Amino acid sequence: MHSIEEEFGNQLDLALESNGLTPLPEDRAALLKAFSTGREQAALVFSVAEARYEEPDLIFSASLS
Amino acid sequence: MTTELATPGEESAATSTILTIADAGEALRSGTTTSVELTTAMLEKATALNPALGAYVEITSDLALEQAAAADAAFAAGSDAGPLQGIPLAIKDIIKVAGVPTTANSRILDPAWGGDADAPVVARLRAAGSVFIGKSTTSEFALGMPDADKGFPVPHNPWDVTRTPAGSSSGTGVATAAGLAFGGLGTDTGGSVRGPATVNGHSGLKVTFGRVPKAGVVPLGYSLDSIGPMARSAYDCALLLQVMAGYDAADPNAADVPVPSYTAGLDGSVDGIKIGLPIPYFFDHDQLDPEVRDGVLSAVQALVGLGATSTEMELAHADKAQHANALILVGEAYAYHRNNMVERWTTYGKYTRPGLVRGMFYTAADYVQANRFRVLWCEQVAKALETYDVLITPSAPTTAQVAADMNPSQRLLQPSYTGQWNLSGLPAICIPTGFSSEGLPLSMQIIGKPFAEATVLKIADAYQRITDHHLQVPPVDALITTAA
Repeated sequence: MHSIEEEFGNQLDLALESNGLTPLPEDRAALLKAFSTGREQAALVFSVAEARYEEPDLIFSASLS
Repeated sequence: MTTELATPGEESAATSTILTIADAGEALRSGTTTSVELTTAMLEKATALNPALGAYVEITSDLALEQAAAADAAFAAGSDAGPLQGIPLAIKDIIKVAGVPTTANSRILDPAWGGDADAPVVARLRAAGSVFIGKSTTSEFALGMPDADKGFPVPHNPWDVTRTPAGSSSGTGVATAAGLAFGGLGTDTGGSVRGPATVNGHSGLKVTFGRVPKAGVVPLGYSLDSIGPMARSAYDCALLLQVMAGYDAADPNAADVPVPSYTAGLDGSVDGIKIGLPIPYFFDHDQLDPEVRDGVLSAVQALVGLGATSTEMELAHADKAQHANALILVGEAYAYHRNNMVERWTTYGKYTRPGLVRGMFYTAADYVQANRFRVLWCEQVAKALETYDVLITPSAPTTAQVAADMNPSQRLLQPSYTGQWNLSGLPAICIPTGFSSEGLPLSMQIIGKPFAEATVLKIADAYQRITDHHLQVPPVDALITTAA
């Protein structure tokens, strides 16, 4: 069973490879932190109940107008 | 009120007490000095201090002196283009100036980027007769932190060179504070005009999205970018904005909204102005420095003493707004840089790489959700501004941090008070409120309604008429001796 850290590392590697990016070994720590921070930030934005999708999507529709 | 400004070599009595654009304009028109004299003194000081302060990527001496001579000739011929004629300014090096390379502090960007023409905002300053001292330093592509490995000057806070001058409009901020320009241009996508103004102890205005055309500027976040004036005083920011603002067809985001007079209302009066103080997150966070908070509250009391009213209120999800702004910003930035990041990874600086690639880690659904939240946030803030004329918050939770202690990744989850207003596209000015017990600038932020820069400037100017924090000059003389 992989630890959370290993899992993050695997996801990071997959993301970098599938996007054609070839970072240096010295970048890894900063990239892992950037990856986990990014997920944390996205989770915070998704946590706002009033901003979640509901039918009809009045909020996102407003942003397109 | 002015404070003596030391210059290298022989000090000119004419130039040594001039601190603001308004002061300089008066001196030029009274014959006390000339633009060539002002510009020469400023060029000498900028050259002497750049090794220590890193304000400029390139000091454009020949251009500046040519423009200064032209300004003086115009004055002599009875021609006066307005308050910026003959005034030395700094231009952030992601903004195109004709005939001068644009580097964005990066080895990625072709210095010929942008072609031969001025950015529209620069063309307006040039037509107004201003003088360009140089292209000021920025974080690489207006993101991340300075990286000495790339060979560009590293900017330092003139109040304490071990501390950050903030970014990304670092160079214009340092130049303005240290007297290496009377002000100039910065850009602001998440706080990059206001951050340097905050920690360097002067005024910086993020304008309403679309108020100033951003063609000819290397983009960071398309839906968030703005160009803003930076200067010692709010009054000077108003003088700059008067020239900068207005529609230009070259920028599809430029707003075709009339430009009012930004100086007509600067009379020191704030009678009847209603101030909202959003307490949760902005005033009660456990990482907010008490000296910062107290500085803002004292300033608000001073405004109340002048006739304004202030009321505590709430804005829900202000912390989430910071993250939504960051998500949109980096997503849009990565979209711009993606191909270069694949092909030229190591040409980017070591702090810029993880900063930009974070945009790849966000999903399309994350971006949609951030924009969904954005609308909710804008609606909430608009509702608050139906009751209040402005909101006032601290500019940042702390004073300038020690540069060596800064951790770019850690920063992202720390409280931040600027990105919320990029997300909502509103005008916001940061001005000094005093100094901390360590002698570092303190600052407050005044946020207004869309296109209400005149109101925001009016309140900032009224405060600055009864205080002199914005006129204090850091002790840079010792740095000249050190650098010589």
